[in-house]
Amino acid sequence: MNLATDPWVWLAAILTLAIFSFLYRENPFYRFAEHLYVGLANGYAITIYWHQVLVPSLFTPVARNPNIATKVWLIAIGIIGALYFTRFIPRVSWLVRIPIAIVLGYWSGASLPRAVDAEIIQQLRATVVTRAHLAHWDTALWAILILIGVVATISYFFFSAERKGALKPISYVGIIFIMVGFGASFGYTVMARISLFIGRLQFLLGDWLGLIK
Amino acid sequence: MRTKGSARDFWARLQSIDRRWIYLVVWLVVMVPLIFPFRIRPKATPPVEKLFEFIDAMPQEKALVLSIDYGPDTQAELQPMLVALLRHAFATHHKVGVLAMVLTGLGLGENALSQVASEFNARAATHDDSIVNGEDYVFWGWNTPYITVMLGMGENISKVFPVDYYGAKTESLPLMRHLKNYADVGILVSLASSSFPQAWINLAQTQFGVKLGCGVTAVSAADFYPYLNSGQFSGMLGGMKGAAEYEQLVEEGMAKAGENWRLRARGTEAMSSQTAAHLAIILFIIIGNIAFFANRRRKL
Repeated sequence: MNLATDPWVWLAAILTLAIFSFLYRENPFYRFAEHLYVGLANGYAITIYWHQVLVPSLFTPVARNPNIATKVWLIAIGIIGALYFTRFIPRVSWLVRIPIAIVLGYWSGASLPRAVDAEIIQQLRATVVTRAHLAHWDTALWAILILIGVVATISYFFFSAERKGALKPISYVGIIFIMVGFGASFGYTVMARISLFIGRLQFLLGDWLGLIK
Repeated sequence: MRTKGSARDFWARLQSIDRRWIYLVVWLVVMVPLIFPFRIRPKATPPVEKLFEFIDAMPQEKALVLSIDYGPDTQAELQPMLVALLRHAFATHHKVGVLAMVLTGLGLGENALSQVASEFNARAATHDDSIVNGEDYVFWGWNTPYITVMLGMGENISKVFPVDYYGAKTESLPLMRHLKNYADVGILVSLASSSFPQAWINLAQTQFGVKLGCGVTAVSAADFYPYLNSGQFSGMLGGMKGAAEYEQLVEEGMAKAGENWRLRARGTEAMSSQTAAHLAIILFIIIGNIAFFANRRRKL
């Protein structure tokens, strides 16, 4: 056993144990650690935003840029951004819609056309069985399986017609694919949660207690 | 008759067991193999192998860009990937650019870079062997909003990040003379605990055609397989197991090159605990189902 001498490691270990104490029951140690984490994360974010966004992109150019037009433009942008805070003044809270509308418009314009290509066209293309897929039995099998899975799953979510006739067995196959998907997601989720726990234990047993070399 | 009754009671009690006993068992099952590990060398799966081979075969003049799209909450899964990818890039003499899309990832990036750079520098015989900030790697830091960053990097990276994480002017760094935009990037790997890899596809790949890979948390791994199948990702690491597989490939690759350093591999170290925990959970599921059906039969 080789205990850590760094006080920060001790602090982190104590806070980790405080968070884990929730597994036994809700308690003041857990609540303290939780509040501390939220406060620290917000404080860190505000500091970084101040030093890396507001100062270099707004305050410094406004103070130092000799071009008046640039200054006016930046100040106008700063004022529009500050309208987010009108949310706290009920009488003028509607003004918050202006920066939200600008951000939504910009993000939608920048993302939508590209998303159609990346998320729909490219994904549709990947479901097409080509001659190259059929060259080997394994690639052919996977390609056909993906095609069946996509068609059957979409059929399951086709609500414009009653589920009878050909649609009934196809959508039933869709359910099987959906269940397999859920199973894979559940398995991965278990792995993820255990991994996070292992990470903390590696810290507690290794960095703190020195039991792992 | 008495035995049958007590067996039924056992299954009934099992269904209402205090969950804290389960936590205790999981705690022990994870902890014991960490202290007394049994050796597991995970065999690399095709998505991991593809990413490794892609980076391995990348031309020397092309850089590897790593985007830290995660924070400390998921570092257990993603930090070993970052470390392994950096080791691979430095071992194959590729230049590396690192950025963070998540604010709290900045410290993680700094930790990984200084750790891996010092591992290489401790064994470097000449200046050419050593890893130097600004020459072999650059840590651009963080900027916002992400759309502007992803699109802007396609035109001029130095404009998106005028100064690096350490405060140096990006344009003045020797590495940046050969790393102007995505055209100089061999592959960009997004290490993410959210949907950032999707955003990289939508914005950086669709617009500029940059090759992408991803390292994601196990929770989200299943969501990203369609992009691997479509070829939008050139490779993928899923969860801590993906990290362990990549660590193995890097270790084997370095050993082949005569660099048998036996560096600490946190992903691989965790595999015995992970295996034991998975077995325990499978056992829990089986016992839980038996108890459920035994109690249902009793009610009928």
